[in-house]
Amino acid sequence: MKRVKIIKEDLKTIFEALAQRYRTIGPKLVHGTVVMAESSFEDIPAGYEDRQGPGSYRLEKKETEEIFSFSPGADSFKKYLCPSSVTSFSFQKSAKGFVVDVPEREGMPLAFIGSRACDLAALSLLDQVFLDGPVRDQGYEGRRKSIFIVSVNCNHPSENCFCDAMGTGPYAKEGFDLCITEIRNWLLVEAGSVEGEKVLEILPHREIDAGDLDEKRIVIARCREMIKKSMKTEDLPGVIYRNLEHPRWTEIAGKDLECGNCTMVCPTCFCNSSYDVLSLRTVSSNLRDFSGVRRRTWDSCFSKNFARVHGGNFRPSRRARYRHWMTHKLAYWIEQFGSPGCVGCGRCITWCPVGIDITHELEELRRVR
Amino acid sequence: MYDRSIPFGATIKWMKKETRDTWTYALRINDREIKKSYCFQPGQFNMLSLPGIGEAAISISSHAADHDLLHTLKVAGDVTTAISKMRAGDVIGVRGPFGRGWPMEEADNKNVIIIAGGVGIAPLRSVMRHLAARHRDRSGKVMIYYGAKTPKDIVYRDEFPRYRDMFSVFLAVDKADPEEYWKGEVGLVTRLLAKTSFDPLGTTVFICGPEVMMRATISDLLIRGVPGEKIYLSMERHMNCGMGICGHCFFGPKFVCKDGPVFRYADIADFLGLREV
Repeated sequence: MKRVKIIKEDLKTIFEALAQRYRTIGPKLVHGTVVMAESSFEDIPAGYEDRQGPGSYRLEKKETEEIFSFSPGADSFKKYLCPSSVTSFSFQKSAKGFVVDVPEREGMPLAFIGSRACDLAALSLLDQVFLDGPVRDQGYEGRRKSIFIVSVNCNHPSENCFCDAMGTGPYAKEGFDLCITEIRNWLLVEAGSVEGEKVLEILPHREIDAGDLDEKRIVIARCREMIKKSMKTEDLPGVIYRNLEHPRWTEIAGKDLECGNCTMVCPTCFCNSSYDVLSLRTVSSNLRDFSGVRRRTWDSCFSKNFARVHGGNFRPSRRARYRHWMTHKLAYWIEQFGSPGCVGCGRCITWCPVGIDITHELEELRRVR
Repeated sequence: MYDRSIPFGATIKWMKKETRDTWTYALRINDREIKKSYCFQPGQFNMLSLPGIGEAAISISSHAADHDLLHTLKVAGDVTTAISKMRAGDVIGVRGPFGRGWPMEEADNKNVIIIAGGVGIAPLRSVMRHLAARHRDRSGKVMIYYGAKTPKDIVYRDEFPRYRDMFSVFLAVDKADPEEYWKGEVGLVTRLLAKTSFDPLGTTVFICGPEVMMRATISDLLIRGVPGEKIYLSMERHMNCGMGICGHCFFGPKFVCKDGPVFRYADIADFLGLREV
């Protein structure tokens, strides 16, 4: 596939070229955090650097020419590809029965600019969940199939990143249409698909040489060195299965607020609930004829009634619910889909209000008491 | 193939009261194309829905060759309560079939033991109907053990005389009703099992009932020498999507909706004894 060198200003050309056929979704500064939103080149929070810690996120403007000086915020692909609330269908009920109407998918396809390697890894995990099961999720498939991805190799990992340990980053290997590596005052752009190559052709560019590829390697190596967090994965899933009754679970439960933030920001957490929504007017008027929609919203295994059936709850305790979440990420997922459900993005650590750190908790589970 | 994430309409053809809180509904699919392509395996389930109220996972109790889809349900939550208020001619939403059913190839020409508790007989009725339909051509013994709370709580009570003609049937109740003549066993279904003899290595076992009952029964079966890989059980969990994308029905690493609801005991043994997994 084609690889070229462009000047930074030409990233704007990429945005504009994509805007012809796509809604461009990129990083944008909103309320002091980097979010994914419909945006243009000018919206990129260039020069901002984030400091992240367990339960903490702060942005700071730095004197730098760098564009991608920040690491990703809370949002990931799932915000757009399996949105937090979607209407599966609408229905019209009458005395004779009901009629179902599936909404047409309309609007331009999406182009994602600035996705990181961990997000691409998470996307392929979501694909397995929604597309490889016995029934393909048609809503997800419709939103997913025509997207364009411009990924960015990380220069500044956050304090909570551990993608290297999970084998998902810090640089993207596949799954993108274009991949950007920011090297000093220029950008190395690699195509990963035919669609991506087409975009490259319209850019004013220079062919690259061996020296440029060496520079990319140096950037990646430097980024690797900056990643401070790690997770030992060799003994997964066994180490968790052997410690399902470890005293640490109770200790975590004492801290855990069950807010579900970790599941909301996790790029691979897919759990959802569907329910029927009726308009108030419908509820208050004639009960035989009414209309409504089946809505699907994100749900979390931390919700108290998540595993409830009539007659009882299969996971009544907080301890069991945290254990279920972490065990799903690091053990069950391996059996279900062949790899851990954690891509090492560190979001669950940053956005946890009490700073529970999954890498630390796994270490604690390994401690024999 | 129709989209199994969208409910289709089915008309209640008839309904039958099985016990004080359990009803059997015969449904006929309204759409001719869907009716033609709809096929299921014994042990699979449908999501029955009422617009505006919700959905419930209910196993299919009919035989594949039957004209109507049979669902036996115990009135428990919102959906089943609402369904219990419906009458013949009303329309119910159906999505399905979902899940992996009983491994019928393991039952063909082999000794089969069917063990059920309470309304857990519902997903096994299609197995019983299947075996009854082939009764003349098949070899191997069929033994049915069924436990209910009282004689009045026996589901499909009127059908047992017919099964008795073909299979060995053993019934037990927790408590006999003094007003009613009961010559069967009083006690747990495991007591029935202990009183009968069977070939532990040459028998396939299908179990469905409350989880405690299944665990107790399985431990007895293992002691009797039945290998874990020949025991199959149907699990119950909270179902929302039915197709493996909502995450509600996890039982350890298994999606009960798509990997089950019928599991081979040996595959889930590690998790069956654990609390809150």
